[in-house]
Amino acid sequence: MSEKIHLTIDHKTIVAKEGANLLQVAEDNGIRIPHLCYHRKLSPTGACRLCIVKIKDQRGMIASCGITVKDGMEVTTSDDELEEARKYLLDYLLAEHNEEYDGAYEDEFRELCRRYGLDKKENRTFPSIWKEMNYPKDESSPVLTYDAAKCIRCFRCIKGCDEVQGKNVLSFTSRGISSYIVGGFDKWGESECDGCGECIQLCPTGAIVEKPHREELRLDEKTTKVQTTCPYCGVGCQLELVVQNGRILRSNGVEGVSPNDGRLCVKGRFGCDYVQHPERLTKPLIKKDGQFVEASWDEALDLVAAKFAEIKEKYGRKALAGYASAKATNEDNYLFMKFVRTVFENNNIDYCTRLCHASTVTAMLRSLGDGAGSNSIEDYAESDCILVTGNNMIETHPVTATYVKYAAQRKGGKIIIIDPKWTPLVDHAHIWLQPKLGTDVALLNGMIHVIIKENRIDRDFIEKRVEGGMESFEALKELTEKYTPEKTEEITGVKASLIAEAARIYAGARQPLIATGMGFSQQVTGTHNVFSLINMMLITGQIGRKGAGLNPPRGQNNVQGVSDVGASPFTYPGYIPVDDKENRRKVAEIWGIPFEKLDGEKGLSTVEIMQAAYEGQVKGMYVMGENPMLTDPNLNHTLEAVKKLDFLVVQDIFHTETTPYADVILPATAFAEKEGTFVNSDRRVLRVRKAVAPPGEARQDWHIVAEIARRMGTPIGDYPNEAAIWDEIAQTAPIFGGISYDRLEKQGIQWPCPEKSHPGTTTLFTEKFNTKNGLAKLHPVDYAEQSEKADNQYPFILNTGRILYQYHSSTMSRRNKALTDFANEAYLLIHPDDVQKLGLSEEQKVHITSRRGTISSVIRSSREVLPGELFMPFHYAEAPVNKLTSDELDPFSKIAPFKLSAVKIEPAH
Amino acid sequence: MIQETRIVLKNAGKIDPENIDDYLKAGGYEGLRKALSMRPVEVIDELLEAGLRGRGGAGFSTGMKQRFTSESCLRCPQRYVVVNADEGEPGTFKDRVIMEQDPHLYLEGTIIAAWAIQATKGYIYLRGEYTDSIKKTKKAIEDAYERGYLGKNIMGSDFSFDVEIRLGAGSYLCGEELTMLESLEGKRGTPRIKPPFPAEKGLFSMPTLVNNVETLANAPLILSKGKAWYQGIGTKRSHGTKIFTISGQVNKPGHYELPMGVTLEDLIGLAGGMRGGRPFKAALLGGAAGTFVDSSMLKERMTYDNLKEKGATLGSGAVIIMAAEDSVEQILHNCLRFFRHESCGKCVPCRTGTTILVKRSEQLLSGHSDRKTLVQQMLRESEMMAATSLCPLGQSPILPLKSAARYFLEH
Repeated sequence: MSEKIHLTIDHKTIVAKEGANLLQVAEDNGIRIPHLCYHRKLSPTGACRLCIVKIKDQRGMIASCGITVKDGMEVTTSDDELEEARKYLLDYLLAEHNEEYDGAYEDEFRELCRRYGLDKKENRTFPSIWKEMNYPKDESSPVLTYDAAKCIRCFRCIKGCDEVQGKNVLSFTSRGISSYIVGGFDKWGESECDGCGECIQLCPTGAIVEKPHREELRLDEKTTKVQTTCPYCGVGCQLELVVQNGRILRSNGVEGVSPNDGRLCVKGRFGCDYVQHPERLTKPLIKKDGQFVEASWDEALDLVAAKFAEIKEKYGRKALAGYASAKATNEDNYLFMKFVRTVFENNNIDYCTRLCHASTVTAMLRSLGDGAGSNSIEDYAESDCILVTGNNMIETHPVTATYVKYAAQRKGGKIIIIDPKWTPLVDHAHIWLQPKLGTDVALLNGMIHVIIKENRIDRDFIEKRVEGGMESFEALKELTEKYTPEKTEEITGVKASLIAEAARIYAGARQPLIATGMGFSQQVTGTHNVFSLINMMLITGQIGRKGAGLNPPRGQNNVQGVSDVGASPFTYPGYIPVDDKENRRKVAEIWGIPFEKLDGEKGLSTVEIMQAAYEGQVKGMYVMGENPMLTDPNLNHTLEAVKKLDFLVVQDIFHTETTPYADVILPATAFAEKEGTFVNSDRRVLRVRKAVAPPGEARQDWHIVAEIARRMGTPIGDYPNEAAIWDEIAQTAPIFGGISYDRLEKQGIQWPCPEKSHPGTTTLFTEKFNTKNGLAKLHPVDYAEQSEKADNQYPFILNTGRILYQYHSSTMSRRNKALTDFANEAYLLIHPDDVQKLGLSEEQKVHITSRRGTISSVIRSSREVLPGELFMPFHYAEAPVNKLTSDELDPFSKIAPFKLSAVKIEPAH
Repeated sequence: MIQETRIVLKNAGKIDPENIDDYLKAGGYEGLRKALSMRPVEVIDELLEAGLRGRGGAGFSTGMKQRFTSESCLRCPQRYVVVNADEGEPGTFKDRVIMEQDPHLYLEGTIIAAWAIQATKGYIYLRGEYTDSIKKTKKAIEDAYERGYLGKNIMGSDFSFDVEIRLGAGSYLCGEELTMLESLEGKRGTPRIKPPFPAEKGLFSMPTLVNNVETLANAPLILSKGKAWYQGIGTKRSHGTKIFTISGQVNKPGHYELPMGVTLEDLIGLAGGMRGGRPFKAALLGGAAGTFVDSSMLKERMTYDNLKEKGATLGSGAVIIMAAEDSVEQILHNCLRFFRHESCGKCVPCRTGTTILVKRSEQLLSGHSDRKTLVQQMLRESEMMAATSLCPLGQSPILPLKSAARYFLEH
């Protein structure tokens, strides 16, 4: 299909790819053929007929959207007859159209009518008939309005929902001139529509328009549009913020740019209102006599500097610690990291990754040498086998999931899911393996057993690319010998035949991708879970080429970047171990400080910091944009720890569950108020741009950090702007060496990108692994029973996780009406058999108690969980599920087992 | 006075349509036996040379269509036969007669077509309102399976073929071949962009032969009696017979099978002449998507080509007769309302154009002051619709409109 052919369009000679679409070829060559129903991302429809052309030796007028270019084709896009026909067609559309325009949407149809002079009524042929049709208006959705009288029935919304988002919620009802679009069976608001707004983005008229800010936005008045990166999950979607009068009134997906190519989810499109929420922190606050009082920046910063200095003086440099923020930029975090290392003079810096993918990263670093995803997000669309382990990606990485669904729906790819809980992706899956909570290692070993027994291994790969070759393979073989499908079924509860089938599909796939999530990582055995996954991948040779590998989709906008820039107790920027003297020496030189100042000893990790605070070893803490009082495990214990601190600084954009315990609260800026960069799940460095001014006296995080350092007498550098900070990052972290802001203007670059001329890396490990000897390493691991077990007193196992409409501790998400309209209530999922056994009823309020605490919630009966297992979202402060979770840590990665707590349920009276 | 030439309807009314033995006694499945003794390409050649043309209305060479389908996408794992039994053209009920009175005949034709193009799976897309046709076809399929004319190793050969019935749900447009394929795939009945044609990329993207019931019913006869026999029926250029369904102002409305080339006058005579001796005014040939003719056409031979040359259509073989007292405007209005009702709404010119034509037609009926301008306006609009519509529906209003204007409206 890559053959080049020549054709002429309006006498202009054009070179095109064989098999290309004529309308697209014209468009790509700057020849504008009018059209409304065609869109680059969608299959051609042929509905509007406006793209008619004439082709030499073919009869009549032909819709170019349905034509495949051929060599020698001679195309005419415009003559009197074609133009007259187009005018007729637009005139027809106008007849059935309500032309009122409120200025709150872009209207391609209106523009075309103007071009053809049809905005003047005297130029029209047809009578207006739309009023007689009694077209309905659907206002039932929380986020959009559909007005059939403004609909030109172009199919773009229907196809966008189906072909792009893989949701298939929209369709036509009725027939002919009476036809219009419906969500589900009738009402948008009662359908499965999840509010992603792809339909809005693709609608060429005002038929489907956002509800929020519709009264406010007037596109004919002064507006600015700013391209930036979404502040929610780690897909890194490119947003276009539409700003008017200093307020963000719209968020659109940016078309034609990776990774999202215009796609967004409900959070990206409707979740930016929190930025301008009245509850934003606007002034520094100092706690005086138990009450927060407003203070000047000078007063607050001097106090913070003095207190930190005092603690360091009194208790030594290890008594201070900092939490960096996955929500802040690389530049913010880099300076925060530099602050902890050079001002605190220790390595007690960590952030939420420790509670997230720490185990995945640990296992990947040890086995493969890099902890980041090995492939590109778009690769999912072409994959023939996608193994999704403990990852509810439709809700947590919705845009990545569109590519995964695309592979399954349109390319015959097979999705295999390993998850104890049903997720929406199960509806698209070929196989769903539903193991009991905490039995993943056994399940993977069972699959490996089948692969070895049936000789589906890649011997060549093992010999050439795995340390120890077939010898180390033998060790794995021996260990997995006992995991026969039958034995594995006994442990995991998954049918032996399904285990074998899944193993065969994975091993035999051409381009298999693994997407592993919190379900795998947030366990005491998290690192082992991922080791076993990697073992299976290595013996089948399913990594190291385009479209094959292991990818942990990251949960937050910049969780990848914060690790990359070195906000870690173990590694410096670019994943260079803290104890690497050579690197410390190099960094000290860049930073212009004595090498001895840099602590060569590993620091404390997230949960360890809290534990040390509890033990009285950490006395002062600097929390930048984190909310440990909702997100750390074993909250009751965390509370005790936080209370024991001498001094706590929280820097955030809102009051959180953590701010009440702070001594000083510093108001920071939100993503739309700053310049900088994020790194997404496929290692893409993406620009963040300022769209609006910060509220009140709020300041950018890195400014605050630098100012505290200066006031402590240990300045961390003078930076004119974020680009200058980035350049220093690129200097310290070799993976970013070739990246600078000017290269990021249009789109992101995937690291490693060591030099200016390097294009970035779409696929990792194609030549060698990033380990010392360049070889991958097998880590045979045995299944071990969980120490946290259900017993007579705590008979249920509780799983926790996220939902589509909320994000992390919901500080941001819950301050968007559109999102809370969809979901705003905590619940406990419980299997109907258990509901019956306990004599409970739907929506009944219960107390849920673990060995560590009690919370209350209403129950929802659901077959999404197995009998004996429960599920709760962790977003809601009124039902803080982390009061129940344990802080027993995975010994390798220090991750906490959020996915597994033994609990009991009692009716609340 | 001419007589019917019943070849397709030779068994109609004579055998029990639900008794396969009756059909076998009447020489049934001999055409299939013959076909299976030939190579598929020879079967196609036989039909091609016999000159069989599509009886659904378009009159395209059946042999050519089968050749295209059999030769396209040789790597494709599957090819299909789809029987267009969604008879919905107003005034047309020829397929219904075959399905109700001799269902094995078109089923046999379907199996022959499958052998010719090497399809292993077929669907009969049958009009949902045709309850008796459905019942008879179901029984015929069951019996054919039982006797080994369907299923594995048909008549002891290596050839296997399965067929299923799918019911239409009342949409005229689903009788259009590409829309029918959408419907068969379980989708909403809207037309596809053409090309690709079904022969290249049809049902589930596989090469697909879509043939009309009457067309397929001719195949067993051609196979068993030979192409020469078939060529002897009809005119030099149009072979075989056509089942005409005549209605309106005649004494004996109904179905009549006649050789190609019969005149309208003869057909009216066969149908008992004009009702009550009323004077003939007009005929609508080919249904709503057909053409009006006046008395000047009474002696013209009715073949695809001759009628086309004279600006008329044979179409499905529907003939609606009007007498002096009847209003051509009113019948035209009915046609236009029918198109508005049946327009799927997918493409702009058809969706809005059919609606606006009805509005104009209403004005015409209510005695518009500038009749000539109004008719010119309607013609211009229907021309534009024909030039720009996605599928044949939007291209159809011009047929009755232009012919009505030519013979009646402009005078």
